[in-house]
Amino acid sequence: MDDSNPSPVRRLHLYETILLFAVPVLFVVYPFAVNDYYIDIGFYFGIYALLGLSLNIVLGEVGLFDLGHAGFYAIGAYTTAILNTKLGVPVIILIPVSALAAALFAYIVCSPIIHLRGDYLCVVTIGMGEIVRLALINNFLGLTGGPNGVYNIDFPSFGGSFVIDSSIEYYFLIWIIVGVSIVGLIRLQHSRIGRAWNCIREDEVAAGTTGIDVRYYKLLAFVLGAALAGVAGNIYASKLMAVSPESFTFWESCMMFCIILIGGMGSIPGVLIGAAFISLFPEIFRPFAMYRMLVFGVVMILMMMFRPGGAWPRRRGGADLPSLFSRMRKSHDG
Amino acid sequence: MKTLKYLFLVSLLVAVFIPASSMAAKAPVVIGLQGPITGPWAYEGEMAKQSCEIAAKLINDKGGILGGRMIELRVVDDAGEPKTGALAAQKLVGQKEVVAVVSTYGSSVCEPASNIYEKYKKVNIGYGVTAVRLTQRDFKYFFRTCGRDDSQGKFFADNVPAKFNAKKIAIMHDNTAFGKGLAEDTERALKPMVDAGKVQIVYYDAITPGEKDFRVSLTKLREAKPEVWYYTGYYAEAALLVSQAREIGVTCPFVGGNAAINNEFVKIAGLDVAKGCYMTNEPLPADLPYDKAKEFLNAYKAKYGDIPSSPWPIYAADALNIIAYTVDKTGSMDADKLAGYLRKDVDGVPGITGPIGFTDQGDREGVPFYIYVVDEKGNIVISK
Amino acid sequence: MRVAVEQIINGLTIGSFYALIALGYSMVYGILKLINFVHGDFFTLGSYLGYTILIFAAAFITAHFGLWGGIVCAMLVAALCLALTGLVVERIAYRPIYPAGRLPAVVSALGASIVLQNAIMVIWGPRYQAYPAPMIPNLHLLFFGINITLLQVVILVFSFVLMGILYYIIQKTLFGASVRAMALDRDTASLMGIDFNRVILFIFTLGPALGAVTGVMVGMYYRQISFTMGWNYGLKAFTATILGGIGNIPGAMFGGLLLGVLEMLGAAYISAAWKDVFVFIILILVLIFRPTGIFGETTAEKV
Repeated sequence: MDDSNPSPVRRLHLYETILLFAVPVLFVVYPFAVNDYYIDIGFYFGIYALLGLSLNIVLGEVGLFDLGHAGFYAIGAYTTAILNTKLGVPVIILIPVSALAAALFAYIVCSPIIHLRGDYLCVVTIGMGEIVRLALINNFLGLTGGPNGVYNIDFPSFGGSFVIDSSIEYYFLIWIIVGVSIVGLIRLQHSRIGRAWNCIREDEVAAGTTGIDVRYYKLLAFVLGAALAGVAGNIYASKLMAVSPESFTFWESCMMFCIILIGGMGSIPGVLIGAAFISLFPEIFRPFAMYRMLVFGVVMILMMMFRPGGAWPRRRGGADLPSLFSRMRKSHDG
Repeated sequence: MKTLKYLFLVSLLVAVFIPASSMAAKAPVVIGLQGPITGPWAYEGEMAKQSCEIAAKLINDKGGILGGRMIELRVVDDAGEPKTGALAAQKLVGQKEVVAVVSTYGSSVCEPASNIYEKYKKVNIGYGVTAVRLTQRDFKYFFRTCGRDDSQGKFFADNVPAKFNAKKIAIMHDNTAFGKGLAEDTERALKPMVDAGKVQIVYYDAITPGEKDFRVSLTKLREAKPEVWYYTGYYAEAALLVSQAREIGVTCPFVGGNAAINNEFVKIAGLDVAKGCYMTNEPLPADLPYDKAKEFLNAYKAKYGDIPSSPWPIYAADALNIIAYTVDKTGSMDADKLAGYLRKDVDGVPGITGPIGFTDQGDREGVPFYIYVVDEKGNIVISK
Repeated sequence: MRVAVEQIINGLTIGSFYALIALGYSMVYGILKLINFVHGDFFTLGSYLGYTILIFAAAFITAHFGLWGGIVCAMLVAALCLALTGLVVERIAYRPIYPAGRLPAVVSALGASIVLQNAIMVIWGPRYQAYPAPMIPNLHLLFFGINITLLQVVILVFSFVLMGILYYIIQKTLFGASVRAMALDRDTASLMGIDFNRVILFIFTLGPALGAVTGVMVGMYYRQISFTMGWNYGLKAFTATILGGIGNIPGAMFGGLLLGVLEMLGAAYISAAWKDVFVFIILILVLIFRPTGIFGETTAEKV
């Protein structure tokens, strides 16, 4: 949709250019300037960014209310945990395996429910997330370890020579994956698929009448979203070296939902801002001790008061990151 | 409306940036406490914090350690959640002045946190973490002042069926890491007797914590006709379970694990229901002939009106005590020295929960168990 | 047979709690198309207020008006306070956000839920609180060998009366018709001269008040309350709302009761640990075959 109107290529504003280059530089420099605690906050920011990106496909691009995304995240994490501890499969190989497992799970559970609309779909995803979590607690097939979870997960290593085990290495691992995902998702947004998704979001009936296979594209969004969440689960599991059901609650799904809305539906820079909010603010508010979450809730309300459309809403042909890239490409081509 | 909005924002900003630091005259010895200050286990976190504060105050009132240095407690919140726990641990290991950490409540939160403490070489002593595996990792800096699931399970198998002359046993847990762990270990400990045909497990199922209605599970339990009923979860559900069970006509003796019965239990269930309920427990502080226990409980009661309603906060206070003791004895802040001393030289040091010593793995040495019963007046006393 | 009847009565009792909470969800959803996450915490707050009144005013009230007088008083005060809280929350957390559409309001609702839950924790402390046992009737009844308590009977009767009254207001009165009209099409209803603000006032006082009354009943029934319990009940009640057909008042009542009974049957005949899984699977199956809930009308999407 963004490309549908190839209006005269606007030159980037100075601040846009600066942001585009300064932000990645900041991300690279940051871990060298702070101690491990702050690097770890950066790492969890990355995890939430990846989860946000994955939910953004479903919620932001296609407009499907998914409040059970923690279920896919859990499938990824537990796939990694179980295959690594039971069969000794290296964690790094399990990244794509976890993605596939979560995607397959999404395909199987979403196929029969994909025709549901709006809040009915929403409650089914809640149910799905809860079913996953309860199955984990009840030690499903004797594999998930019940409430204790699975422990002793290895660190990822490349051929045994380079082992990722320090905070800073994890930080770069997650942000490289986030970076690659962002590039991929931007390309997707500007592809036929992305346009079909947005079309469904704006008007499902109209999309159907113009020949878009609504069911196929909705399922695709769920499958891709779940796959990315599975990757996030893999990295989370190996970072903590242990997984347990407390990490995959309905609450976690709600937080992912907030990432998208605080940032702005369908906006990739928005996802980063939303993820930053969700991961950084509880840490910043630590001095408040037991008032910590109280303050967090107040800030959430304030955010919506001041910027109901999100911190960085996606603008058509405007100054959002994807169109920045496409404009840059055009100016190169031209 | 607009003004109101900005007023909100401004007051919030002011609150964030008010500096909350205070400098003490003589450099204090800083001991960390990682616990669930917010989240579903917040009441445990609150009591652990209160207990550690009392323990620190008692030490400080006597002139502190190392010839007059005060103990300062630094609390970080892990919200009872593994990820936040890992971040909390990471925050503490980044603070060089923190000598050692009392950490934490909940085995699955402790696991990732203790990995971090181990990696950054910081002594950490668990107070509410009973999963057996935690001390089977050959960690150098991890200890715990509480017992393990399997010691209590074994105690149950050795003593409870004989005491009630019971052949049919019902085991119920609450699907938390602790409750389920204890239930599984009890089942394992009973296995030889089951195989020998001496006892029979007629009921084994879980309830969901946070729920309020257990009548269905209890009806099932009633129909299984057990002669003794062991519940391995927490007092909040235990109180509901017993009252609902008596309502629908379950008459067999109720035996709770060491988190199931306390004063709150008696309060919630009511004396009529609570009296005659049993529990397997480490000796209660009131039953310990140690001055330390009396001193601590009196101080706690004086400040908060009642003693802690679960066993774990007292272990937290003991963890703080033993850290202070070790720092005082070794005169060192070095983690290796502290860990070595805790492992080798701490033996029978008087604590609130009895003499403290650690095995090579870091487990508490010799945690004894008793069967307790709620008497006619609602007091919890050792069952004869 | 005896056991099964007992189980169903237990299920109906818990189901009537879900139904009463679900009504609050359903009304707000009907008008604003908003998943009102804060509603579960209204319920918790009501429960805590009822507890406080029973503890502090109990001796006086019970002495003058008897056991039931104390309980009625606790319910009334809790309901009044919550009606007020509902209005305040609507004014602060929702009203400024309506124009932006329904999704930002969901975040705001989550924020309000966090605030309320943690405020309860800060005010009353994180420990479990116990409703005072002497203030609660404790009488067992036996009907043909079926074991049931007086409190259960009272709760069931009272819940059905409340639901009946609400049903009457919504379905039979002129004002109820305006609420339904507003739910059906807000713009058209406004053009017909229905005052949006009056409807909002109605749903944001009545919903929380119902939640508060339910909170007090839950407190009496289980004697024990915690600051996190609203989350669980809220989730169940929301599920019940969807099961019945969202925005549909009789649907919410039926959904709540059905959910309670299903839960109990799942626990009784499958496994207590898996009962929620059973409930959610039933929910998903129902929605696969009736995509707008049991009572939901299958209307074509507006184009």
